[in-house]
Amino acid sequence: MTDTQLNRRQVLAGTAALAGMAFGVSPLAAQETGEIVLGGSIPLTGVFAFAGIGIHAGIQDYLKILNDGGGIKGRKIKYVAEDTAYKVDASVAAFNKITSQEKVSLYYGDSTGFSKTINPELDRRGSMIMAGASFATELNDPKKFPLQFMAGPDYTEMFGILLRYIAKEKPGARVAFVYSDTEFGRDPIVPGEAVAKELKLNIVEKIVTPPGSVDVSTEVLKLRRANPDFTIFHGYVLAPIPEFVAQAKQMGMKSQFMGTFWTMDNSTVQRMDAAADGFMGVMPYRYYYDKDGSVPMLEKIRQMRPEYQSTGYMQGFVTAMLMAEAVKRTLDAGKELTGANLKAGLNSIKDFDTGGLFGVPISIPGNSVPVGRIYRFDAKAKQMLPASDWIKL
Amino acid sequence: MRIGTLKTSYGADEALFDSSVQRGLLVLLALGAVAFPFVASPYWLFLACLCAINVASATGLNLLTGYTGLVSLGQAAFMSVGAYAVAVLEIRLGTPFLLNLLIGAALAAVIGILVGIPSLRVKGLYLAIATIAASVILHFLFSHWSLTGEARGLSMPPASLFGYVIDQPFTLYWLIMPVTCLMVLGAANLLRTRIGRAFIAIRDRDISAEVLGIPLLRYKLTSFAISSFYAGLAGGLWAYFFRVVTPESFPLVNSIFYLAAIIVGGMGTILGGILGAVFMTLVPELLKFAANWLTPIYPDALAALAPVRTIVFGGLIVGFLIFEPRGLAEIWRRVRRFFHLWPFRT
Amino acid sequence: MDMLFLAEVALAGLGAGALYALTGVAFVLIYKATRVVNLAIGEILMLGGYAFLGFAAGLGLSPWIALPLAIAAGGVFGWVVERSLIRPMLGENPISVFMVTIGLGSILAGAVQLAWGADPLRLPEFLPGTPIFIGDAYLAPKVAFGFAAAAVVIGLFLALFRFSRGGVALKATAADQGAAYSVGIDVPRVFSIAWILACATAAGAGVLVGAIGGISPTMGVFGLSVLVVVIIGGLDSLAGALVGGLLIGLVEALAGTFLGGEFKLVVTFALLLVLLMVRPYGLFGTHEIERL
Repeated sequence: MTDTQLNRRQVLAGTAALAGMAFGVSPLAAQETGEIVLGGSIPLTGVFAFAGIGIHAGIQDYLKILNDGGGIKGRKIKYVAEDTAYKVDASVAAFNKITSQEKVSLYYGDSTGFSKTINPELDRRGSMIMAGASFATELNDPKKFPLQFMAGPDYTEMFGILLRYIAKEKPGARVAFVYSDTEFGRDPIVPGEAVAKELKLNIVEKIVTPPGSVDVSTEVLKLRRANPDFTIFHGYVLAPIPEFVAQAKQMGMKSQFMGTFWTMDNSTVQRMDAAADGFMGVMPYRYYYDKDGSVPMLEKIRQMRPEYQSTGYMQGFVTAMLMAEAVKRTLDAGKELTGANLKAGLNSIKDFDTGGLFGVPISIPGNSVPVGRIYRFDAKAKQMLPASDWIKL
Repeated sequence: MRIGTLKTSYGADEALFDSSVQRGLLVLLALGAVAFPFVASPYWLFLACLCAINVASATGLNLLTGYTGLVSLGQAAFMSVGAYAVAVLEIRLGTPFLLNLLIGAALAAVIGILVGIPSLRVKGLYLAIATIAASVILHFLFSHWSLTGEARGLSMPPASLFGYVIDQPFTLYWLIMPVTCLMVLGAANLLRTRIGRAFIAIRDRDISAEVLGIPLLRYKLTSFAISSFYAGLAGGLWAYFFRVVTPESFPLVNSIFYLAAIIVGGMGTILGGILGAVFMTLVPELLKFAANWLTPIYPDALAALAPVRTIVFGGLIVGFLIFEPRGLAEIWRRVRRFFHLWPFRT
Repeated sequence: MDMLFLAEVALAGLGAGALYALTGVAFVLIYKATRVVNLAIGEILMLGGYAFLGFAAGLGLSPWIALPLAIAAGGVFGWVVERSLIRPMLGENPISVFMVTIGLGSILAGAVQLAWGADPLRLPEFLPGTPIFIGDAYLAPKVAFGFAAAAVVIGLFLALFRFSRGGVALKATAADQGAAYSVGIDVPRVFSIAWILACATAAGAGVLVGAIGGISPTMGVFGLSVLVVVIIGGLDSLAGALVGGLLIGLVEALAGTFLGGEFKLVVTFALLLVLLMVRPYGLFGTHEIERL
């Protein structure tokens, strides 16, 4: 299922190599002129590892396509990543390490906390733009975060897309939010409520779960009492959604369950087993297997990786693509690769075709790409299938 | 070569550094520490600062666990008290950073005393669990209190001295390294005093110590206070170093890290705390180098890094406890002893 | 207040508590026999879950064959750990021994992650899925099953200690190792058996916990709650583990419902601190008297 499996020989080889590394470590790699560096604080381990591994592969694959095709004006993009275990201090450490060894123009950050923490440093350096795994509402503010962007809608915009869909399906519906007690989980709750009010939806319950909790029986009981028509999960990757949904269904609850970007991976939803059928959520990209329309980029991905790739992979892939596009536009304009120029290049993207990965041509006027589509899980096809048109906010 | 040392006064016997060779080495080391920032890359400076912070905290824990025999799994939580205090002071009041550091450390010491109160009634594991409980409660407090920024934590401006901003590894080094050196020296000196000897007596057998006239409550709480003071100061340095404090910055596993550091280094020796903290900080970095170096041959090396790091962390604890219970300090002592008589006896 | 809702919450809490109690029993067993505080209990539990997954999903065995195999694997693991890591530490400072178990826990968490990856996994469904209603109160079937299994196992243990020869030997060893030795009890064997039984129990509990909430390399944090359970119950009391487990399960459920999910852990630990002040050796633990 994942590609992290190791056999003993590999582990032994690693240990032996480590012994070798103890001597003669040279931290400062020689800088090759012309190479553009994409640095990354990537959560390859920890609670966000599932997404991180996909992101890591997605960035690598896009850069491979790009570099094999000659790079940007003959300049290749080099990817330098460090694992962060989804911890802010480790991310900062990785940032410091990578930026002290390379001349970094692009950076991928792994969490909302990191994106906010490193922002003053980004402004101070002024030499790079950053995107990342965070779709936090707060980051979607070009004034406060002038050198950052996100390759999709922010969390509140995701809630907006979901709530808009709900309001259309069932005006005045009862809606419950279930979110984790983390910054990620809490992000869209308050603005989401405001949006719901605007749409005349009724928020009947907000349930917060401790991070990493697995036993949700009491929370399910609480949800049943609130009896919502729609339940939106946010701030999780997998656990405890499957158990939540399974128990709720056993109790005879009829609520429609929904998720936001990071819970929407096909394999994640599949692992909900019986609970998966009908699970809905918002997704800015196409899935690996989507066949509708012309999607040349997906064809390429499917050629490179015959097996299913996660939405985290798509996110990494698209992020790398948008970054590369910003570099290309900056170089085309004959400008230097500074943060401000790169961001200006990025913001000049208008009705841009991502090879079909976003279902519609996109523009990036600010820090986000407020586009998405509602998908619904089909138990027979074992796939998330589109349930709405592409919604542009 | 050194055959033996002759001491002619009690003062000489009690001295921290008892031979001219040792003093010479120390001067060399100090010169090295001063020269280091001018030759090292920012990354190595970054690591040096991180090591220094960990040394400070580990030394504090060593006073509590290694010298007084009270196990604490709350060192990281005490650090978080210092870090949050510094961050709040810096953001809200903008007071001078040295004052902030001291207030943070003092606050941590007060919390340490509170947590230490059960130590009179309970010992060993029960006490360790009480410190875990304190960590959980502090974590909850920090992640739900608006003053400490709730789950998102606080990002703070850098320290500044007379308008000069201290925000680069190079400048931070000059803040962190001297403070750590002072703290370590302070700890070494403390152990030569009545207080230090009382700690050791309590560690060796607390009831005997009480019979000998050492007030247990007072000294146990003193030990907690000093240890958390160290942790708080280290936490404050940490805050100035990373300039962000979140509830997840000081997880329980960091407390285990410090305990592991003094075990690997050698419990109950000042040198052990230093060696252990430096060693445990550098091992993951070495593993990172190995992984980066392996990536061309084996692309998934980076993904395998974290589990390997966890295994190595556990393996070091277990390995040292079984095969070298007195830690790196003991290995160092053996090496030194070898050279004392070298080349006449090997 | 809605009584039915309260009853449902209480039932869910007791169900979770039974699993705490079961794991707590495993912890107490080791402590009673060998005076070792095993902080790796959460990771051994996790190992049980992964072993089950390996047998059931990896080798494609039926869950009902995989379950005993996972329990057996836990037992074998306990035996290996006792012989290789714990016995060399015999007579060492208790702090050192419990640090060894912390190190062991870390190794296990890393190894599992290396072998199965970092993301949470779900165990194959093998527990009945039909909802259970006690009166009108709903009880999640898996939780009910977990409760029943835990009750049976704990009952068996209690009977074993009371009536079997081995159980008596264990109690004798717990009371006084030297005296037990001198009346001909093979104390090292008792140590081994205690570890085997305890780790097998923990592995079984791991399968149950995993069946309810899925498994992940961070599942070891379950051990943290178990620690609270055994401290509250008293480190060397089986009955204490039972009462403590149910109590903590109940408290967590009530706190989660009426205060919010984020309060679960902090409430139990606050309870623990209060109890430590009032009864330093737990509800049922032995207060050891120290002599010079």
